[in-house]
Amino acid sequence: MMRIGSGPSLLFLPPLFEEMNRTRALLASVMRGLAAQGFECWLPDLPGTGESERALEGVSWQDWSEAAAAAFEATGAVAAISLRGGALLDGAAPARWRFAPATGASLARDLARAGLMTEGGGGYAPSGALLAGLAEAEPAAGGKVRTLRLSTDRGEADLKLEGPPLWRRAEPQNSSELAEAMASDIVQWVRA
Amino acid sequence: MTAAFNDEQEVDETLRAVLRDVLGLPEAQVAALDESSPLFGALPEFDSMAVAGLLTELEERLGILIEDHEVDADMLESFGSLLTFARSKTLQ
Repeated sequence: MMRIGSGPSLLFLPPLFEEMNRTRALLASVMRGLAAQGFECWLPDLPGTGESERALEGVSWQDWSEAAAAAFEATGAVAAISLRGGALLDGAAPARWRFAPATGASLARDLARAGLMTEGGGGYAPSGALLAGLAEAEPAAGGKVRTLRLSTDRGEADLKLEGPPLWRRAEPQNSSELAEAMASDIVQWVRA
Repeated sequence: MTAAFNDEQEVDETLRAVLRDVLGLPEAQVAALDESSPLFGALPEFDSMAVAGLLTELEERLGILIEDHEVDADMLESFGSLLTFARSKTLQ
């Protein structure tokens, strides 16, 4: 688990699979921005990803849900900050800020499609148990939730921001304007 | 989601915006695309990984569902063929 800053804790839940790599720079910018404004930011490695010692092939959706819940307990986070599929794992948080939340069904379709196109060349080999759980997963309803989306996204949101869908880019990129707008909305929301 | 696209021009603009955003193409290059401009296999940015992202992003922005069997090299061949497909899915 990566941690920067000190103050009230925020737990970051990154996008899933390839989208995580594509948004790493964006997430790091948002975390640095929040750390500079007096927050402690945590970024866990889900089982089978990042520094985790487990192989993704042996991980189930249940393992990811439990790992996210355990991370809330361990960090005492006041809120979850999620991007895309990370919103599917924020149910244990008392308050949830979400950027471009995606349903499990659309992410599962994306994975299947990418697999068809690359003919085994993709880096991720999720188990059937992980895919089955993912396909059923929806962001948890109820509680204190704030949802932001890009202005190009037709989904419902509390606020829409201008910016590129960085999770789609094959070459990882960053947008400092988007990161600043996200951090500033999070600060206002947490302190409200 | 409801299909709120009644206008051919709106589908054209959405498709250009998706190409710009997903492939990271410069605005001027996207604006210059015409119906005969080749896409898949002609743009280095437009590889097989990018196709998956492009299709999903089109689904989200146009409020449509694209079936796997509808996706083939012909549909992705040119800006015109992709536009024709997007219009046929969107404008009923």
